[in-house]
Amino acid sequence: MNTNLKISNVTKIYPGCVANDNISLEFNSGKIYALLGENGAGKSTLVKILSGVIIPDEGKIYLNENNLKLNSPLDAKKNEIGMVFQHFNLFETLSVFENLIIDSDEQRESVREKIDAIMKKYNFSIDLDIPVLNLSAGQKQKVEIIRCLLRSPKVLIMDEPTSVLTEQETSELFLSLKKFSEEGILIIYITHKLKEVMRLCDEVAVMRRGKLVSVSEIKNENIESLANKMVGQNLKTIKKKKAKTSSDQLIKITNLNFTSEDPFETNLTEINFSVNRGECLGIAGISGNGQSELFQVLSGEIISEKNSIEFNNNYIGDLSPQERREYLMAFSPEDRLEQAAIPQMKIFENVALNNFKSSNFFNNGLINENKIKEHSKKIISDFNVNTDNIELKSQFLSGGNLQKLIIGRELITSPDLLICFNPTWGLDVGAINYIHETLIKINEQNKSIILISTDTDELLKLSDKISVIHKGKLSKIMNSEEVTSEKLGILMGGAN
Amino acid sequence: MIKIVKRDQPSRAIFFFTPVLAIFLTLVAGGLIFFILGFKPFEALKFFFIVPIADKYGFSELLLKATPLCLIAIGLSFCFKSNNWNIGAEGQLTFGAIVSGGVALLFYEQEGFYILPTVILAGAIGGMLYASIPAILKTYFNTNEILVSLMLVYVSKLILDYLVVGPWSNPEGFNFPETRQFSDSAKLPLLFEGLRIHAGIFLALAAVVISWFVFYKTYLGFQMKVSGFSLKTAKYAGYKGKKMIILVFLISGACAGLAGVGEITGPIGQLHREISPDYGFTAIIVAFLGRLHPVGIIFASLVVAITYLGAETAQIFMQIPKYTGQVFQGMILFFLLASDYLLFFKIKFIGLKK
Repeated sequence: MNTNLKISNVTKIYPGCVANDNISLEFNSGKIYALLGENGAGKSTLVKILSGVIIPDEGKIYLNENNLKLNSPLDAKKNEIGMVFQHFNLFETLSVFENLIIDSDEQRESVREKIDAIMKKYNFSIDLDIPVLNLSAGQKQKVEIIRCLLRSPKVLIMDEPTSVLTEQETSELFLSLKKFSEEGILIIYITHKLKEVMRLCDEVAVMRRGKLVSVSEIKNENIESLANKMVGQNLKTIKKKKAKTSSDQLIKITNLNFTSEDPFETNLTEINFSVNRGECLGIAGISGNGQSELFQVLSGEIISEKNSIEFNNNYIGDLSPQERREYLMAFSPEDRLEQAAIPQMKIFENVALNNFKSSNFFNNGLINENKIKEHSKKIISDFNVNTDNIELKSQFLSGGNLQKLIIGRELITSPDLLICFNPTWGLDVGAINYIHETLIKINEQNKSIILISTDTDELLKLSDKISVIHKGKLSKIMNSEEVTSEKLGILMGGAN
Repeated sequence: MIKIVKRDQPSRAIFFFTPVLAIFLTLVAGGLIFFILGFKPFEALKFFFIVPIADKYGFSELLLKATPLCLIAIGLSFCFKSNNWNIGAEGQLTFGAIVSGGVALLFYEQEGFYILPTVILAGAIGGMLYASIPAILKTYFNTNEILVSLMLVYVSKLILDYLVVGPWSNPEGFNFPETRQFSDSAKLPLLFEGLRIHAGIFLALAAVVISWFVFYKTYLGFQMKVSGFSLKTAKYAGYKGKKMIILVFLISGACAGLAGVGEITGPIGQLHREISPDYGFTAIIVAFLGRLHPVGIIFASLVVAITYLGAETAQIFMQIPKYTGQVFQGMILFFLLASDYLLFFKIKFIGLKK
């Protein structure tokens, strides 16, 4: 049976922004549709409207010509619209089976049979009786999918499903989605990853700033054309020139271990690596494998043994972040809003967070506001931060502008080494490009970078050498030309 | 049609306008309440807000009440600006008063220039000690400082109660719940003959100036602010965030303790059961009404002090219970929180036609 889903003139306005501006779209079963757009383009709003989480200000939704009233997620379920959110909605301490029957009023035995049938049909293998917290991200996602399939949906919506998956898990997911599509389930796939759209989908709808920009067939598009539609300007592609291989060693980590008292942190075991001047070392991995701990050990937020870190011929393992900055290290943490900057403080105050002796930001315990403001203005103009008001609270900067400010702040010392952790996480393509260009420039000036990132494409683009972190252990360090994203995926999954 | 639009950036003007708006709305609502109770609104408001401070004595009383409010609110502003919700200033005030009162009693019937500074210092230390309990529990055991500091208020009041009826009660006091009178050397000097305003006001003014300087001009103030917003950021910047949290609590406790000293070594000159008409709680309203800014807090403490005086006048002349004062304090906070909505949203009037 064919399914036809129609969105007609949907508008949703939030204070200060039009999230969906008169969107009309039509979907038919048998095809996989991509909904593509940057962060903030309005994809999530549209999807939440389809799943009953948000009620639109105007517009109607039709399923097979029937006008749907979606006032709650329950209404969506009743109308056989299934949704798998980016963040899993599972009870970690309950078993897989308990999670699956939690919103079902059928007999336990019959549900179990149904689940077994689904798993067999799609080749899923998950132990139903272990707690969800023991599952990998990919398996958790399968649980969410099974939960949808139990209601034999007509429409299945996937919101950025691959952000937590390895390369292998992604391939498996795509196979399943294609199978579902063949069986007549209408699939809407939300993403900002262009490669996935090309690989999986048949038709693509692009959104930008709340508006629908285009609807087209994948065979008429390529990555560049989609990127341009998504960003709305012609992007130049950046290519990193091969670094001059220097043998001048800048930082050397020897036998570094970290054991945490917090059960939710990852222990680091026997970390060994070194970075030469002008080089970028990429550290790949699925989030939660010790990246955050590694960053903190390198930045000095976690103190380690003095001899475990040698920087510029000094042993600095026991120094605090502030002391390490004096040795010309700089740090850009993952969490922009909670760690790298304080949203409630003004731009220039955030600049003063990177305090080093020669900055004269603070003299004899007093704030030297003129000096800080002077530096702030320089950062704003040098790093293209889109504002001219340094008194603005930084919460009013977009993610991209805030990241530029942070990177700019860290670079005013012209450090020998910049350590950054997911520097482009959640940014739009324009800002990502800018940050990437900046990082490449740093290498060209013979300065070094340690780039901890969960974005494989970014690592392959920027790194000279790559290592993979898995459960707190680093793989051997590889030259980036020898590495493919498939190989990284295997290592990220823990295989050798 | 009325439309509510999010502001891109809260304007500076609106930031100082909303407290004024809140006071205005409080007056309107107060007038309305008086009207419902059967009084002439304007006359009642006059009794409440103008009559009490119309003469010299009234003005001195105003300053007398504003002094502890201002002092405590200044201390609290350190905590609140750095996101530490110390709401137990009343307890820190009480404990400061207990310690300084104890020291003052040690010097019973003694004279000496060193006595008063010792008594004042003891009060500040008492307040700091008491504030350090929620601070240390928060930083090292992750407890909620709101609960801990609030509950400790009642503990300190019970300790005071026990002392003034038990071991410290005046042997010649006919079992009244109060201690002996402090010697004159342990009392803050009165500023004018016949008026109750005392030297404690200088402590408050000094606190205003010092707090402004520390918070806006020093590296220490900057670190406190950062640590308050985010311990993670403080750690990343290389600050000792936990120490900063403890420090703001200590400052806050010291101010509240000093306010306690002012209450017992001022006009009263002894420890008794009711040393503070909830100054420690009311100061929370003062701190927010003053926008946590030292100068704002001066004005706010004067405004809120009037509600104490007005309530008494209203009770005498209009037979309204003096708890009306608390109603007014509540309304100020209520309207302040409500009008703070305007910080982030503006109201637009647009034509009905689309």
